[in-house]
Amino acid sequence: MNSVSTMIESSKRPMLQLEDISKTYRSKGSFFGGSGKKIVALNHVSLKIFKGEIFGLIGESGSGKSTAGRLIVKLEEPSAGEIFLDDNKITGLKGKALKAFRLKAQMIFQDPYQSLNPQISIYDTVSEPLIIHKTKNVQARKHLVLQTLKSVGLSPRDDFLHRYPHQLSGGQRQRVAIARVMVLKPKFVVADEPTSMLDASISAQIFNILLEMREKLDVTFLFISHSLAAARYLCDRIAVIYRGNLVEMGPGEKIIQKPKHPYTQALLDALPKFGHWDKVEGHDTLLRVDRGDFQDVGCPFFGRCKVAHQRKCSQERPHLRKSDGSRLVACFYA
Amino acid sequence: MALLEVDNLSIGYQTPNGFLEAVEGVSFSLEKGKSLGFVGESGCGKTTIGMALMRLLPRNTSVKGGHVAFEGQDMLKMSDEDMRLIRWKKVAMIFQAAMNALNPVHRVDDQIAEAILTHDPASSRGDAMKQVEDLFQLVDIPKGRMRDYPHQYSGGMKQRAIIAMALACRPKLIIADEPTTALDVIVQHQILEETKNLQKKFKISIIYISHDISVVAGVCDDIGVMYAGQLVEYGSKIEVFGSPAHPYTKALLSSYPRLTGEKDKLAPIPGEPPNLINPPSGCRFYDRCPSAKVSCKTEAPVWVKLTQRHSARCS
Amino acid sequence: MEKPNKKRLNRFPWVARFLGGWAIYRQNLLGKIGLGLLVIFGLMALCSFIPPLIDPMYQPMIGVDPEISYSTGPCIRHWLGTDFMGRDILSQLLAGARVAFMVGISAAFMSIVFGTAIGMIAGYMGRFIDTLLMRFADMIMVMPTLLVVLIMAALFGQLNIWTIVLIIALFRWPGVSRVIRAQTLSLKQRPFIEAAKVAGASHARIIFRHIMPNVLPLAFLYMTFRVTSAIIIEAALAFLGFGDPSTVSWGMMLQWVWKTGHMFNAPYWLLPPGICISLITLSFYMLGRAMDEVLDPRLRNEEQAG
Repeated sequence: MNSVSTMIESSKRPMLQLEDISKTYRSKGSFFGGSGKKIVALNHVSLKIFKGEIFGLIGESGSGKSTAGRLIVKLEEPSAGEIFLDDNKITGLKGKALKAFRLKAQMIFQDPYQSLNPQISIYDTVSEPLIIHKTKNVQARKHLVLQTLKSVGLSPRDDFLHRYPHQLSGGQRQRVAIARVMVLKPKFVVADEPTSMLDASISAQIFNILLEMREKLDVTFLFISHSLAAARYLCDRIAVIYRGNLVEMGPGEKIIQKPKHPYTQALLDALPKFGHWDKVEGHDTLLRVDRGDFQDVGCPFFGRCKVAHQRKCSQERPHLRKSDGSRLVACFYA
Repeated sequence: MALLEVDNLSIGYQTPNGFLEAVEGVSFSLEKGKSLGFVGESGCGKTTIGMALMRLLPRNTSVKGGHVAFEGQDMLKMSDEDMRLIRWKKVAMIFQAAMNALNPVHRVDDQIAEAILTHDPASSRGDAMKQVEDLFQLVDIPKGRMRDYPHQYSGGMKQRAIIAMALACRPKLIIADEPTTALDVIVQHQILEETKNLQKKFKISIIYISHDISVVAGVCDDIGVMYAGQLVEYGSKIEVFGSPAHPYTKALLSSYPRLTGEKDKLAPIPGEPPNLINPPSGCRFYDRCPSAKVSCKTEAPVWVKLTQRHSARCS
Repeated sequence: MEKPNKKRLNRFPWVARFLGGWAIYRQNLLGKIGLGLLVIFGLMALCSFIPPLIDPMYQPMIGVDPEISYSTGPCIRHWLGTDFMGRDILSQLLAGARVAFMVGISAAFMSIVFGTAIGMIAGYMGRFIDTLLMRFADMIMVMPTLLVVLIMAALFGQLNIWTIVLIIALFRWPGVSRVIRAQTLSLKQRPFIEAAKVAGASHARIIFRHIMPNVLPLAFLYMTFRVTSAIIIEAALAFLGFGDPSTVSWGMMLQWVWKTGHMFNAPYWLLPPGICISLITLSFYMLGRAMDEVLDPRLRNEEQAG
């Protein structure tokens, strides 16, 4: 099919695999005929995540990164393609099998102010997953909840347990959300922009918690974010996604130091740089004015790509190909 | 004479639990054509300062002390009528999430024209529209999109429209409160670059308010770091970034993951900012400061002048 | 600092919100008037047990004054006078207050329970179930409650007061369910619901554990409006002669005034029940409006908290 199937670490079996995933949304057509607009959120995306790694999915808004996360935890179903967790097909799971799956794959949401039910106490929020999955013994539950709260750095004092979300700060709420996820000891966690709504110093605290979870509990993470800097800090491998298409994938450090795809280069150009404000040396791959939408036929980035070749890039769609070592780039000229 | 001089400004507001000191003893000055950035975490008081300069504080807030002089005039003591004349014509503000400030049922060019006509009733509608055209060109919105409604604009375009509205009356000072927070990285970069260019072209002074120090660093000449309602460090950006003096500034800078250089483990600041209803009498950063001395708890820290423009409030 | 008791109570969000809401409510003049009136009526209802204890002649239905067997004006023995049979009007008024609260609150409560459950299920499940339930609600909503009860009374003879309450409840729930459904639809999209789904919660769990606590404030608000309509319907029924003849309600009192021809010559008998009906409905309405003000901005403030 495409060269992704010849992954570099093909000797190891991946923990999570997305195989040719597509997701389209169709808005309702008008009453007078004419089908609704088709929005392609994900376009033939394939990737593999290996046990114990933190994999970064980086993109801007509208890139489809959050959609990918939601498909993995089965908040939505893909329009095409399959997803495998630990070699088990999870697309189309129902009933008991679905519930068993939930034990293994969890999600940390972006907005700590909205992801906790304001009417439920901290203790009840964190113990709810245990109740759902039938940990009957009240003592055992309490012990697990306390232990998990402690591991995310929240004091297990009794009056804290009975507090409600509105009494906590943003950083504390996000820790509770992480505790809720970790109490089930999942194998795979999708972290959907877990720090976008938090200040820098609090974000740093959360990053360190995620790193600790990976070490102590051997959890595999999919870290979804728009921040390449955060990805560099946290992730082993990164995939850059643009309008539903993977454009570059490989070891995080390498991609950031030497990006190959024009979009990745544009992203890096745009990031604020500390202490190098007068450095003009950018890759300069972005057109000032968009060319227009060529999504369906050519390269998805053609409309904004300064270094594109008029004919080829507007007619053919590039697939992810190997480009030096373990890097994959979806560009004819990278 | 500096365009804006703020001296020992203190603002607080009444809450059911007591009086909250949102801003305490802030002093700074801004020259014509320069830009100043206020950086700090949420709740540090930076937005309050911006609102105070526009005299747009909510009803339960009061200025407890200090002076604000704009072009020599005392802004705090001015009458409401005089303030209204200054607002928008001389001092404009871009609010947080300003993209939502566009009225969804009116076309964008109408809204900007309205802003022009409100502050300059003498001009005709035709003139106003011509000005709108020029403004759109300045902020890089294609002419063909002028008659659109706000919902047809992308986030970046809406923000540009807001900037156009702020520039409509050619103010001398623009206060921008988190102008790019909700935008994507690339769009944010473009808008910041355009803003820098506009600033240089029209010699506008800008006050940037943001929690993101990296954004502010790219755009401003001077930086003021705020913590718990107080200004803790102030200086040119090269000095503040290159050789941060206050422990909070240092800690803040090391909370940001970097794109280049060593991949050090991030050192987040433990704990939380203090409650501003009964702020501690000594240094407000005391219980989170890695280099605190015992005296810091009870004695208020003093301003130490490090260079001509760079000073920090730490003993 | 804070008193330990206050802190422990403030754990519960509903206590904190109640106190906060009370602070806002207090500022609303209408709300205070409404609440004041309701307190008075409540006291009336409570005191309705007292007159018969003082003297059996004060029994609202069967009490007969040995000396008076016709309608008289206010005097020392009968503060509001007597009706055509010599029964004390004041004790009837007090008993009527009791009935009004009973009918109003029971009918409102039942319709809220039913309406909330249906609204939540319809809003959450969506699609077919939603359409089915809402069309069902529409059908019920267009039926005029009063007429239905009248028809049933005509068919089945005199109705018991509790049957009347039940019927009122069964016909008044659609309005509630629409509002609760709308609220549920917006709650459904909130991340904490998605988080519950990802944790593996069943639909029932999500509806009753997660959605219900968030719609209850709205449900209670609507309950106050329901009480109003329930009281009026019962009064109308009694007035028209279809009420429960063994229950003394204000509507029943008005019926007696009318039927015995004392409409124009016994103001002490005509006015009190009429005024009471108007005032109690007005006070519930004012209560509801003031609560609305409490709930709405509070709901908005919740989002920004933190």
